[in-house]
Amino acid sequence: MKFVYQDLLNFLAEKPSKELLSEKLFQLGHEHEIDGDIFDMELTPNRGDCLSLNGLARDLNIFFGKAEPFKIFEDDIEPLNLNFKNLSPDACPKISFLEIEIEGSTNTYKPYLENYFSLLGNNKTNLFTDISNYISYELGQPTHCFDASTINNQLIFENKICNDSFETLLGSNINLEGKNCIFTVDNKIISLAGVMGGKSTACSSQTRKALIECAYFEPEEIIGKSIKYNLVSDASHKFERGVDIQAQEKILRRFITIVQDHAAIKNFKIQIFDDTAIEQSRIPIDLERINKILGIDIEKEQYLMILNNLGFEINNNELNVPSYRNDISSQNDLAEEIARVLGYDSIKSKPLEIKNNLNENINHIYKVKNFLVQNGFSEVINFPFTSIKDKKSITIDNPLDSNKSSLRISLKSSLLENLQYNERRQNDSIKLFEISDLYSRDDQINLERKLGIIISGRRGHNYKDFSKKLDFNYLNQILNEGANKNIFTIEEISRSDLKTKKKDKIFYTEVLIGNIPGNLYKDYKFNEEQINFIKYQPVSEFPSSVRDFSFSILDFKKYNKVINLISNLDDDILKHSYIFDFYENKKIKEIKVGVRLIFHSVLCTLSEEEIQKTTQRLLKPVLDLEGVSVPGL
Amino acid sequence: MSNIDNIEPPLIKDEVGSLHPINQVKDFLLNMLADLGFQEVDGPEIESEEFNFDMLNIKKSHPARQMHDTFYIENKSHVLRTHTSPVQIRSMLETKPPLAFTSAGKVYRKDDDATHLPMFHQVEGIYVDENVTFANLKDLIHKILHNLFGKDVEIRFRPSYFPFTEPSAEVDILSVNGKWLEILGCGIINPIVLKNCNIDPEKYSGLAFGLGVERIAMLKYGVNDIREFYKSNLDFLGQFK
Repeated sequence: MKFVYQDLLNFLAEKPSKELLSEKLFQLGHEHEIDGDIFDMELTPNRGDCLSLNGLARDLNIFFGKAEPFKIFEDDIEPLNLNFKNLSPDACPKISFLEIEIEGSTNTYKPYLENYFSLLGNNKTNLFTDISNYISYELGQPTHCFDASTINNQLIFENKICNDSFETLLGSNINLEGKNCIFTVDNKIISLAGVMGGKSTACSSQTRKALIECAYFEPEEIIGKSIKYNLVSDASHKFERGVDIQAQEKILRRFITIVQDHAAIKNFKIQIFDDTAIEQSRIPIDLERINKILGIDIEKEQYLMILNNLGFEINNNELNVPSYRNDISSQNDLAEEIARVLGYDSIKSKPLEIKNNLNENINHIYKVKNFLVQNGFSEVINFPFTSIKDKKSITIDNPLDSNKSSLRISLKSSLLENLQYNERRQNDSIKLFEISDLYSRDDQINLERKLGIIISGRRGHNYKDFSKKLDFNYLNQILNEGANKNIFTIEEISRSDLKTKKKDKIFYTEVLIGNIPGNLYKDYKFNEEQINFIKYQPVSEFPSSVRDFSFSILDFKKYNKVINLISNLDDDILKHSYIFDFYENKKIKEIKVGVRLIFHSVLCTLSEEEIQKTTQRLLKPVLDLEGVSVPGL
Repeated sequence: MSNIDNIEPPLIKDEVGSLHPINQVKDFLLNMLADLGFQEVDGPEIESEEFNFDMLNIKKSHPARQMHDTFYIENKSHVLRTHTSPVQIRSMLETKPPLAFTSAGKVYRKDDDATHLPMFHQVEGIYVDENVTFANLKDLIHKILHNLFGKDVEIRFRPSYFPFTEPSAEVDILSVNGKWLEILGCGIINPIVLKNCNIDPEKYSGLAFGLGVERIAMLKYGVNDIREFYKSNLDFLGQFK
């Protein structure tokens, strides 16, 4: 909801600055952003009563006092004898109608009405609808304007199962399904109640006689309809949150006044249908309880003053809850009212000591995970949604992606996707694992907590492992031999169905967490390490460039220096460097050290020139050493 | 070292992997809360509407229960839990106060854009005892945020709305660039919820709080796009060793 700063000031006795107004709105829990003179409110869903100038002013009354800037028609009004039947009073316990006829019309609006359209960027439609929209802004109650000349038979309100098409006043055709609150005439739907009216009975600039409907619809009956039919409306937003059931006559009287401001009124009549007795909500005055909930020591006088200023009436030992506060029903609700007005930040903290004897054992999953991390595996987390269906799969009724409407029953396909993703990103040694709950069903829903491990590529980047591949034996040795038990069934995943030119074999295993014996990690030590909140460096989306260099060391005195220099290479575009080859040729007394440099940039694909320049700079200190060379460079 | 026979081959460093940053932050939060006296409890990701909504005072009309916000499964017989609170409901039903529980794990909402994902992680906590007050809640939240962001962090409480707490609050911290950042939601457990869990609200009161793990991780690590956490990119994951 947006409002103009000056418009709200008109509803306040004092005139706070924008900054002070903003501060108090935040204190009361009304989030907003300010753009010039426009406040864009993001109200919590329980505060439908604040979706208007009048509503916000009621809440701000305690700080700035509330003014009543608007006039309402106060004389007697002739009763209307509308041919109307409410077949669903449970969905609409109270509804009122105003029939109003004017002579001529006007295109010139008074400043208060004109500003509503010009300053807030709202589109004008016709006099009756424009007034209806303005009243919703001013007082928070949506009204609907029918062109009275189009309603020539009994008007019926009903909450019923529909299977009908309906053309909205905006011209879109929708098919109503399931239960809907509707208005009908001659069995034809003329309005989707609480959401949007229909085109066949809508007012136009030619309308001279309008029937204004002002209702309270139960939020439960309206909620979800605007999303279901993709009909965004201010009315549905307000009805979903609840409007003031007692305000209808005042609203319609205000309607008359605004029409009077803009046209000559020929005739008007009003009728209120009160089908259900509406009880006043009351809560006992219990100051002790309020102080106990909040941990404060407020005096009774202040407590009553605050609630009185928020519209609560003191009635002996009870408080009458205002009819617009649908959200208040308990002492805890009142405690929140007190806290909001005092300011949450002004409530002083009181020490809380929780006494609990906890078992500080580091758990099994933590140890399994850290065992894998120490062995070079990286943990991943995947979404559970999959296109793979199995007779045991659980189906999502409303998936985000209709192609992924099942919950995975294995971690394999997710980990295989992760592996291929990393292969495409030029990773040549991939060891991943995931631990997750998996759900399946037979005659009931079953839960299994599993570990999945996938490997492919080089065993490592050091000179001993560089030429070796991750394979069955590697995994078997770490897992089954490590656990001293054959509980990990290792399978090779064929690449034949994968869209990849890679040839490295893929191995996979999946096991129930509960089946993993503690033997697996018995030789490892785990401490609950302090987390290291590093500052993350954005990952490059551009391809890396690899350069290999083979250093020949003939002067062995330089050996340690060479190793030290090439182990500490550093540059912004150097992603990774490592010694992948080491060879001592005792016959010709030469040491060969193979070094791989991998370059990348987060900004672009690197040019050959950039790589060469950086390489020369990085390797210069090594190549400057006598007796050290890179043959062919 | 002029003799080739005396040459020591280059040292081989173990190539360690990494725990997922989200799990690292989750475990950090759980450990911190354990130090404050909370015990971790676990529960299923597939829940009944009763435990995910009804017991938590989330009425049938609440927007969160709509098909566009919640994943329903198996002909609407169950939901993918939208928060970890049902775990706490189960724990409250099984334990008599005083009780202090944390629940953590994956939760699901029907969202998918640059700032929201259909799956994310929460850490939630409850404490129920006699005379638990909003002032106590503030003390606890200060301790949590001081642990996370340092003793000097500026903290702001503002009223909010959650069906399961009353009063409810959202808590912001002041960032280095002078903007308030929303960090967590909390409140006094709604007596209706206590009653639903067979806890006498006349005798006991409680506090509850919930943190989004991804949000904390993004702030602490400086990650701007939440989707980075779930690409399973080794270049990304490898930074969190």
